[in-house]
Amino acid sequence: MRITQNMMSNIFTSNLRKQTEAMLQRQEQIATQKRINRPSDDPSGMGRVLAGRSTLATIGQYADNIKQGKTRLEFNEETLKLADDLVQRARRTAEENSGDSVTAEERALAAESVKEIYDQVLQLANSKLNGRYIFSGDKSNEAAFTRDVDYNATYNGDAGSFRIPIADNVQVNVDADGRNYFQDAAGGGVNIFDELRDLIVGLENTDLAVGSTQIRATIDPLEDAHVQIMNKRSEAGPKLYRLQATEEHWANVKNTVQAAIGREEDVDVAQAIIELKNLETAYQSTMAAASRIIQPSLVNFLK
Amino acid sequence: MTHLFGVLSTATSALLTHQRAINVTGNNIANVNTPGYSRQRLNLETGTPTQTGLGMMSFGVTSTDVERVYDRFLGVQLNNENANLGRWEAQKGMLDRVEVVFDESAGYGLNQALSDFWNSWQDLSLNPEGQTERSVVAATSQGLADAIRQKYNDLEQVQEDIDTAVEGDVEAVNRLAAQIADLNQKIARTEIGGTNANDYRDSRDFALKQLSEIIDIKSFEDASGQAVVSVGDGRPLVESGNTWKLSTQTNTDETTANFGHTDILWPDVNGGLVNISGEVGGGRIGGWLQTRDTKIAGYQAQLESLADGLILKVNDLHDDGFDLNGGPGAQFFTGTGAADMQVNPDVLADPKLIAASLTGAAGNADNAIAISALRTSLTMNDGTATFDAAANSLVGQVGYDVQTAKANAGHQADMMTYLENYRESVSGVALDEEMVNLVKFEAAYNAAAKMVSMADEMLNSLMNMIR
Repeated sequence: MRITQNMMSNIFTSNLRKQTEAMLQRQEQIATQKRINRPSDDPSGMGRVLAGRSTLATIGQYADNIKQGKTRLEFNEETLKLADDLVQRARRTAEENSGDSVTAEERALAAESVKEIYDQVLQLANSKLNGRYIFSGDKSNEAAFTRDVDYNATYNGDAGSFRIPIADNVQVNVDADGRNYFQDAAGGGVNIFDELRDLIVGLENTDLAVGSTQIRATIDPLEDAHVQIMNKRSEAGPKLYRLQATEEHWANVKNTVQAAIGREEDVDVAQAIIELKNLETAYQSTMAAASRIIQPSLVNFLK
Repeated sequence: MTHLFGVLSTATSALLTHQRAINVTGNNIANVNTPGYSRQRLNLETGTPTQTGLGMMSFGVTSTDVERVYDRFLGVQLNNENANLGRWEAQKGMLDRVEVVFDESAGYGLNQALSDFWNSWQDLSLNPEGQTERSVVAATSQGLADAIRQKYNDLEQVQEDIDTAVEGDVEAVNRLAAQIADLNQKIARTEIGGTNANDYRDSRDFALKQLSEIIDIKSFEDASGQAVVSVGDGRPLVESGNTWKLSTQTNTDETTANFGHTDILWPDVNGGLVNISGEVGGGRIGGWLQTRDTKIAGYQAQLESLADGLILKVNDLHDDGFDLNGGPGAQFFTGTGAADMQVNPDVLADPKLIAASLTGAAGNADNAIAISALRTSLTMNDGTATFDAAANSLVGQVGYDVQTAKANAGHQADMMTYLENYRESVSGVALDEEMVNLVKFEAAYNAAAKMVSMADEMLNSLMNMIR
């Protein structure tokens, strides 16, 4: 075959181009620490990376939701614990003042303290978390309970519940219907506000004997109220556990997905450096060879 | 018939012929880097023989013609492969720009915009009265609409750039066609006298090669040595000295894929114009048209169906809900598709209008939950894919197309290097070879000169005899 100078320089330049291109790619991979720097580097790998990122974003959101859900449950728990203490204090007041020997003055003092208890329970039932009433169902922008001057409480909310999305189409419901906690109308339980009102009425009754009967009538229901609140509190336990377990599950999935994305798009740095080294050697030998072959021609030897 | 003057004339012919040979060699050396140049060779012949007492003898040397060394079949193959190279290079160039539009590797793209959108609805579902959450939903929704709209418009921009590029290249086609027609005539005029129009032919071959890179052509040489060139489905572009001038026009037919973009027109005998856009499959123009009308139009269709699906599904749910004022949900997304998708400006201005509630109660979040649940429902591709999957697969498809174009362009470039080298091997100038020839011709010239001086001496001796 006839070989001309142009053929040599053509092949030389085309090879140099390929080698510098490959070196540039390795250099980019090492600099970004990524194997996939644009979709065309590996279209199907990029697809898996993107799917992984969607999953990560979803998981991140669920983890955030769960954090908010836990806050909500813990806040509920804290509120109910205080309400429970108050209810038990009311019951003790009832017990202490149910005897016939208690004077009218003592009962009047006790009535004042039960009124305080009533308003504190009312305040707890109207607790707000992040600006929302937690016991008024979906009507979370309205106070759950209000009372009139005669201590008759009215529920202003509805039957809605607080829902925490923890997985695709799965939600944990936290009961936000205040009636189930403080009035338990549906469950046939104790209306705490009514019992406290009856206790106040009994304590303030000028006929001390009738008052004693009225006071005694509230002792058992107030004990039941304690049980009712305890029951609602115990509902939170399994829910918290479920949130905790789901959170851990998502943390594990997150690690798995992150590892999968890493395997897909991260570069094996050692490998890339070795490849770069090889390419460098090839590049330098191409140059060395070219400088020996391209330079001389017969012209240099004709004198 | 041998005489002393015969020796002189033999030497003269040798001097002249080798001088010519040195000239041809010099020309080869001068054109060693001229693109399209084919090395030339002086064909030598012995002088016309005459009858002498010793039999037939020829005296001296003559040159018959200067011939260019080339492989006539290689030209066609080079042109075909060059058309393929032009096509893939053009696709690669434009798709590279499309890939930038869909660059998700850094994490800011459709994928991110969609995730942000769904997540903001979930955030809202946890606190449906929250002003912050509502503002974030409005912002991420607008972000998503912007991302889709901007990608759609960026694709449109690439298509328009292709239009401009095609228009420029059609001009180049016309210029090269005129050049080829001109060379056709020059070659005909030169060769009618029996000489080879070597340099004109080189120029014409080179022009054909340039033309084939721009548009796929079919060409052959007719009996009189004139190149006949046709484009598309056998539509003549050059015949001897005549050319058919291509023109461009913006497509106004809404039913076609390239509505609003440039078409290529070919003039028929009746002065009418024929649209040949669909017939051009190769060369740079072919690659561009394919990118514009098949690839990019396809991506746009996918963006369109993503936008349509989002507008339809989200609006459907949003309409059923109630905003924070207790009023029925307004239209959430406005616009009819990817080109003009927007969040309803009223909602953007007053995020209270976002209908998170399904009952009218401010704290109800069922509608926000329903909208965020769209993420997992199979709404796209005839109910087989989620919105996220459809967006991701679009990115994957762009990547795949770029990869294919890159691979093919690389392969085609290798092929061209090989063919160019083969052509170079036949027609290229090898400097060493020319140097050898130079030395060879110089030696012959020197020897011929020696012959003249020797004949001179002989003549002197002869003259001295009669003094």
